[in-house]
Amino acid sequence: MKFKAFLIGLLISFGFPWLVAVVLPFASMRSAEPILMDPEDEEAGYYVSKRDGRIVEGSQVYGQEGCYHCHTQVIRPTYIGSDVHRDEWAGLKKAATGGVDGRRETLVFDFEGEEVAKVGLTRNGPDLANLGLRLEHHLKGTGTTPEEWLYKHLYNPRETFGYRKGDQSLPDKSKCPSKVGLFKKVSVSQGRGKGLPVATEENEAIIPTDKAEALVSYLVSLKKDALRNPIPAQMDYRRDREQTAEKK
Amino acid sequence: MSENQHTSELSDAALRASIDRSLRHPVMFFFTSGALWLAVGIVLGFVASAKKHSPDFLACFPWLDAGKVDAAHMSALLYGWGMQAGFGILIWLMARLTRKECKSAGVILLAGHLWNFFVMVGVALILFGWGSGVPLMEFPPQIWICLLFCYLAITIWSLVQFQVRDAGHVYVSQWYLLASLLWFPWLLVSALVFVFSFNDNPLMAAGVAYWFESGVMLLFLLPIGLASAYYLAPKVTGRPVYSYNLALFGFWAFAVVGPWAGMQKLNGAPIPVFLPYVGAAAMVLILIPAIAVGLNILKTVSGHTDVVVESPSLRFTLAGIVLFVLFGALSLLLHGFAFNAFQFSYAGYGLNILLVYGVFSLCAFGAIYFIVPRVTRREWLSRRFINWHFFLSLYGVASIVICAVMGGLSQGYGMDDLTQPFMTMADRASQLGWGVTIAWGCLLFANLFFCFHLLLMWARLGRRSSHPTLLKGHHAESPHGPDGEIDNLGSVSATH
Repeated sequence: MKFKAFLIGLLISFGFPWLVAVVLPFASMRSAEPILMDPEDEEAGYYVSKRDGRIVEGSQVYGQEGCYHCHTQVIRPTYIGSDVHRDEWAGLKKAATGGVDGRRETLVFDFEGEEVAKVGLTRNGPDLANLGLRLEHHLKGTGTTPEEWLYKHLYNPRETFGYRKGDQSLPDKSKCPSKVGLFKKVSVSQGRGKGLPVATEENEAIIPTDKAEALVSYLVSLKKDALRNPIPAQMDYRRDREQTAEKK
Repeated sequence: MSENQHTSELSDAALRASIDRSLRHPVMFFFTSGALWLAVGIVLGFVASAKKHSPDFLACFPWLDAGKVDAAHMSALLYGWGMQAGFGILIWLMARLTRKECKSAGVILLAGHLWNFFVMVGVALILFGWGSGVPLMEFPPQIWICLLFCYLAITIWSLVQFQVRDAGHVYVSQWYLLASLLWFPWLLVSALVFVFSFNDNPLMAAGVAYWFESGVMLLFLLPIGLASAYYLAPKVTGRPVYSYNLALFGFWAFAVVGPWAGMQKLNGAPIPVFLPYVGAAAMVLILIPAIAVGLNILKTVSGHTDVVVESPSLRFTLAGIVLFVLFGALSLLLHGFAFNAFQFSYAGYGLNILLVYGVFSLCAFGAIYFIVPRVTRREWLSRRFINWHFFLSLYGVASIVICAVMGGLSQGYGMDDLTQPFMTMADRASQLGWGVTIAWGCLLFANLFFCFHLLLMWARLGRRSSHPTLLKGHHAESPHGPDGEIDNLGSVSATH
């Protein structure tokens, strides 16, 4: 084998996959076309992902704390797994929303505003794609806000009860690390009312750091909310099923 | 033996000895600091795994909490141990195969120290929560850029050596070395540009980071392990490689398949649908080069069972190659038949560890057991240490892979079982996590033997002997060539 041919072989065998599986998809995803709410009615406008909170910072803290090692943020299509049907991972069911099935797959717009998507590596803990809405739904009427629950859970998951009504088992079963590094101990006067409802020494309060605030704001923003942010029919995971039913 | 032949063998041996001498400091630096990083990576692996089933283990150290310790564990393993051991093997093999002394040992040593320093800073930043936050590329971008420059300063000389070599045969090992030499900077520059520079699409940025990490394992570490196997198997047995054509086929099959892998972990995410599938297909097809390489190496050493049993280098190398074939088979089974189920399970970790520890590291240990006596001109002190290292390593890596894959599959299939709450399968997986933790403990012991032994050699406390350390009780025949090679001029052996 001539050395020149060998070198060209090396360049092509690497360069071709590099071009096809890295550069071109990157370029094509860069300019994703906006999607019409209704393909037949341009007046209905385009789909806009609504999400608020400290997304850029929060996403970075989520990454820096390595949450993606045990939590995913992706609801895979039904031909790959049953993610859509698991608890409230993919959105709320009809009964919870008053007639609208809010469950859906993950869309490319769900990661808008983040620098790198935290799709996740394993599911040692539950999927978080709809964490914000799930907490909102289950904590309604309990007097605890999603933020408060998350602070307590991040501080010590084994002293926090589950967010579902009557769920007393989470403290025993949760394998989530306690992220005490995201909180600091201050005197009560410095706590400015941000102190966590946890046992402390006299005159001390545990308050979240700026990183914890960004992370919680980000976690609360993870919602698949079909009521406040409906998605176009063409992106609904049931689109094929409904089309088939119509044809019948 | 005619006088002419004797003179040429002597000058040959003198050349080899001078090559070894020229590379003594950088090679020993890479091996010893790599071995220390391996110990760090294993301890972090132990902690990371323990935290999956006993979350309050070491909870008093917030910088060691789950998530960060997982990232630090893989980074220490890949960039601290893997790449540094890889550098040591790469520069030594390239110098020996091109028959050129290294004239830039000082620069390599300096760049090596810098690499080591930046990896240390990177791992510390990850642990203290100041990493990049990018999954699988957790060092901050500044660290990656520094590592790229260190990489170039370490490896460019091997390319120069290859360029100025005396015309002649290019060995199979050199193909693999050149491939990893050229592909890694390409991978890293692409990742730097697409992940850290363009701020357009968060999903593709994640995809490129996954592709990069897969590339580090599959396109840098693995080829160096295979290069070492293609060097040691013929060298130690004194026979040429079994089939040149099979080697050629195996190499090109690997080069064509390997670069596609990586994005299979994004299966189901809203990226172009072909990307995860093409990644999975690559992980299925990797069995083809695995079989080609496995067959070739095994055929080369077949009939030399006694040498395989006796020579530490060959024993480790052969174990690594057999595990490469098993890696190919397991990858085929997981990606071909359980792709959706195992995607978000522990099994992926098992597969990574099989590649990094089972295949690459065992081949690298084989190379280290061969190279160190040559560059230090001392023999390994203890047969028992090598034996312990070998068996504990094999036992440990097998346990990790079996527990992670079994646990991962039960976790993965459990995820689709909607009749059971999520916690049931999470519990199921964490039970098998105990096995992984114990196995990391086992590997820690293996590497205490290895590290201690290597540090003694580094301190030039090895045996001054004309007999290589073999894993049997007698020194009747040496598989490393005639007696006296260490104290005289260098090894005089049949091939290369």
